[in-house]
Amino acid sequence: MSEQHHFNANKIFVTLIILTALEVAWGTLIPYDAKFFLWGGLLAFAFWKGLLIFMYFMHMKFEGWIVKCLIAPTPFLMCVVVFAIMPDVAMNGQLDHELGDQLDPVDGAVVEIGTGSRNIEHTADHGDDDSTGH
Amino acid sequence: MSKAIAAYDPAVDAAVHHHPIYDYDSGPPVDRGKFAIWLFLATEIMFFTGLIGTYVVLRTGAPSWPNPAARLAVDITAANTFILIVSSWTVVRGLAAIQKGDQGGLVKWLGLSILIGSVFVGVQVYEYIELFKHGALPNQDLFWSTFYAMTGFHGLHVIVGVIWLSCLWIAAVRGRYTAQDYMAIELGGLYWHFVDLVWVLLFTLVYLM
Repeated sequence: MSEQHHFNANKIFVTLIILTALEVAWGTLIPYDAKFFLWGGLLAFAFWKGLLIFMYFMHMKFEGWIVKCLIAPTPFLMCVVVFAIMPDVAMNGQLDHELGDQLDPVDGAVVEIGTGSRNIEHTADHGDDDSTGH
Repeated sequence: MSKAIAAYDPAVDAAVHHHPIYDYDSGPPVDRGKFAIWLFLATEIMFFTGLIGTYVVLRTGAPSWPNPAARLAVDITAANTFILIVSSWTVVRGLAAIQKGDQGGLVKWLGLSILIGSVFVGVQVYEYIELFKHGALPNQDLFWSTFYAMTGFHGLHVIVGVIWLSCLWIAAVRGRYTAQDYMAIELGGLYWHFVDLVWVLLFTLVYLM
């Protein structure tokens, strides 16, 4: 059995509902091009709502040190994950082809989907198979 | 081995071997179930961090990104977000009920949570069907690939949560839980709230930003 945590769940619930309504209104009313205000406000609302759920509904505010220590490394690891994959696209502005283009694995040239040296070899292998009558 | 452990009495053993009685638990200073579920949730946080982090990196690296409002039904999903938040609240009410020894209240609130969670899944399935009808398939472009990856994995978690809550509900109907024994409800509730928390972030990132 665990200890009971006393907080006003109804108050948290109403706050979450109001914040969600405000967030949807913010996302709808702020022009999509005003990204600084749009994204800044939306992230603030999301963080606030997430924090309320995490601290009260999930009882983190009332947990002991060991549970807090279990979760403590995750923000650091989140940054590690994001920064580890960021270099994959950080140089996209300097690409000499469109993002998502298929590149030939041999010479790096842009090729049509289904062509390229690897696919050509693959097709040639199939052709050989057919010629042997399999 | 289990008989030996069951027969072990530290008070008897201490007198025989002349050492003091240790009456502390050598485990972590928290319920083992709670320790395990938080460890599991930490891995789940990293799982969704991988998805969301990849989404953020792909999106910031893309030359252009469509306005989600032009492709997705934000109003329906906003209503679905309300629904999931309500289900979190009903789980909290269920836990509060059993903490007071109200078994009927637990059955009622848990049942309501399962119903509301199922509605959330139903709305998401409806959304997928409508999108498929309009040709919005996961292999269409980067927007749809990331959309289906993130909302799909979250949807699977909601389904697992509904199954978990259903198991708890069946046990609750049988009178399994009391005011002194409700840890299983708390653990299931933690998972459900986590699923709710992830959706709060996904809704903002995928549908509104």
